[in-house]
Amino acid sequence: MSTSSPHILVVEDEPQIRRLICEALRGEGYTCGESSNAQDALALAAGNDVALVLLDLGLPGMSGNEFIQELRTWSQLPILILSARNAEDDKIGALDLGADDYLAKPFGIGELLARVRALLRRHGQDQDAAPTFQFGDVHVDLSRRIVCRGGIEVHLTKMEYRLLAVMLANSGKVMTHRRLLQAVWGTGHTEQAHYLRIYLGRLRQKLEVDPTQPKFFLTETGVGYRFQS
Amino acid sequence: MEKSHFSQSQGTRYSFAIALCIVTMLIALPVHDLLDPANIVMLFLLAVFITAATLGRGPAILAAFLNVALFDFFFVQPRLSFAVADTQYLVTFAVMLAVGLCTSHLVARVAERKREAEMREQQTLALYDLAADLGTSLSIEQVAERTGTFLHGIAFDATVLIAESVQGETSFREYGKHRLGRMEQSFAHSAYTNQTIVEADTLAGLGIAIIFLPLAAPVPVRGVLAVTPQTSDAELIRLHRPLLEAVASLIGMTVERLHHADAAHQSELKAASERLRASILSSLSHDLRTPLTTLVGLADTLVRKYPVLDAAALETANIIRDQAHAMHHLISNLLEMARLRDGKVTLNRQWQPFEEIIGSSTRLLAGILANRILEVNVPRDLPLVCFDAVLMERVVCNLLENAVKYSTTGAKIVLRVSADHGALEFSVWNAGSSFPAAPNDEIFEIFVRGEMNPAVSGSGIGLAICKAVVAAHEGEIIAENRDGGAAVRVRLPLGVPPEVQEEIPE
Repeated sequence: MSTSSPHILVVEDEPQIRRLICEALRGEGYTCGESSNAQDALALAAGNDVALVLLDLGLPGMSGNEFIQELRTWSQLPILILSARNAEDDKIGALDLGADDYLAKPFGIGELLARVRALLRRHGQDQDAAPTFQFGDVHVDLSRRIVCRGGIEVHLTKMEYRLLAVMLANSGKVMTHRRLLQAVWGTGHTEQAHYLRIYLGRLRQKLEVDPTQPKFFLTETGVGYRFQS
Repeated sequence: MEKSHFSQSQGTRYSFAIALCIVTMLIALPVHDLLDPANIVMLFLLAVFITAATLGRGPAILAAFLNVALFDFFFVQPRLSFAVADTQYLVTFAVMLAVGLCTSHLVARVAERKREAEMREQQTLALYDLAADLGTSLSIEQVAERTGTFLHGIAFDATVLIAESVQGETSFREYGKHRLGRMEQSFAHSAYTNQTIVEADTLAGLGIAIIFLPLAAPVPVRGVLAVTPQTSDAELIRLHRPLLEAVASLIGMTVERLHHADAAHQSELKAASERLRASILSSLSHDLRTPLTTLVGLADTLVRKYPVLDAAALETANIIRDQAHAMHHLISNLLEMARLRDGKVTLNRQWQPFEEIIGSSTRLLAGILANRILEVNVPRDLPLVCFDAVLMERVVCNLLENAVKYSTTGAKIVLRVSADHGALEFSVWNAGSSFPAAPNDEIFEIFVRGEMNPAVSGSGIGLAICKAVVAAHEGEIIAENRDGGAAVRVRLPLGVPPEVQEEIPE
């Protein structure tokens, strides 16, 4: 990643929306690359020092999903998807393929910039992968396997702890049910989403102030979960 | 039962037999002095043989007796008298008669077998033709017509009955010239329900159907073949029964094939129209969303602009943004309703805790809920419920939005969830305004709005979506006024959640 302003690649076939996004990003001091189709975008992603890809799923020609698949064969660049609100299957497909987050159209500029910042921050953190996390009054030390809340140690079962560790490791990213099940329970259990939901509910009860209105373990309805600190 | 392949009637054949005997006698008479009586006997036996082979059993028997008589009368001493001088001749007569009868029997039987075999072959060929005909039939009418023509050829009238089930009652649709009477209907019914052949031979000749064969394709039996003989000969039915069974089975298979072809065609049509509809909805949704995204984004850019716009311009930009959001919301609702109204929405039902969508709904609506006091009341040990999270979230959001819309700033909104009596119940209550005197199902109809506050903007689509979603989940939705406010309650049936194996503690 360059030390100067991060370069963001915007892949969107609607020129008006592309222009709008780029203007907003430039206003925040980022530089922008634009592409109206996935083929050109792949070339741009390979050639430039790109920090993040903003990708519209409904592209003509090569689809957004094909783009993700192709890009993921050689790059772990963060990908933020732009998609219609009620197209859960598209979102899940893209996230399963390796996209990091999504934003439903129409979106506010503030929201867009917040997502971009979060993804860039996370991507920068990956290198030094801190073993400790602090959210609310909860402190987690992955190296010592200790979870404390308000200074008092909280007991987590083995699976609860594993789920917490995976969520924290992917902080800020939307994790689909399938990916979480795979990471925590193993590949043979991807159809047993109710386990995931029950264990996530227990984590909320142990670590959230109000489990019905979670602040950190957020539900992405119909898609999965996101940890946000 | 003999049915000769000769065209002659019985009488003619007997006359021929008598004539042949007399001709034999006339041939033998002039030469009887030259021939040994044994050879004359041979000539007569030859005549019986020919008769049996060509004219059948009856005439051959007649010939056997007649020949003995002729031999005795014209060739045995005293001649021209039935008296016999030499008693040796009695043995000759007996042997001659016995050989004649045996010959006639054997030869006639071979001939009969041959005729039967030929007839069977013809029937098989005819069945092949019928099968080929039925194979190309495109409708039940054609099947009935071709079967009718085929059976008419062997002197039967056929009616094909196809069962139709209307509200549990089975009735038959009749195809064929012969209309069934009430008695025949009941016979057909019995053949259909018991899946056995029903025969009523004793009623032969009344011009009514007397044999009812279930159209026995592989399950299910789809109808009955009713056959009416054109003559009063009940024997005819017995003779052709294997053929009739084969025909019934052929029709059964054809009807089954037509049924499946029809079902496949229907589902193809349906799938095509659904694809079209889905693609129209999705392209409409895309085409409407694109300009709205631009509009929201541009207005937002103006609002965030630095240096800040002057107050009036800022307000305008804010209004543009909020209205564009409202427009998007309305379009989403309309598209959602279009999908739901179809009644063909495939629910993505999964077992999940209900509190999840409460958290996500209140987060989605955090903006508009900010100036209300929201009280969420959810017990900790709720069972898992099987529902479509995205749609149910829409229900919760719509109810919360309504609660906000019809209450004033600072008003209390209560979201309560509980589980009892095999149902999960959640309700959204807002203090302040209430439904009209007796809220009824009407307010869940599309474009109908409660008249409590006509000044409040709204399309009246929110509750209609709630109702459609809840109905798709086999639940119920009830509007009521209580505790000085309005409430909407939703009840969803609880099922049996999948088992969860607890971890073994370390």
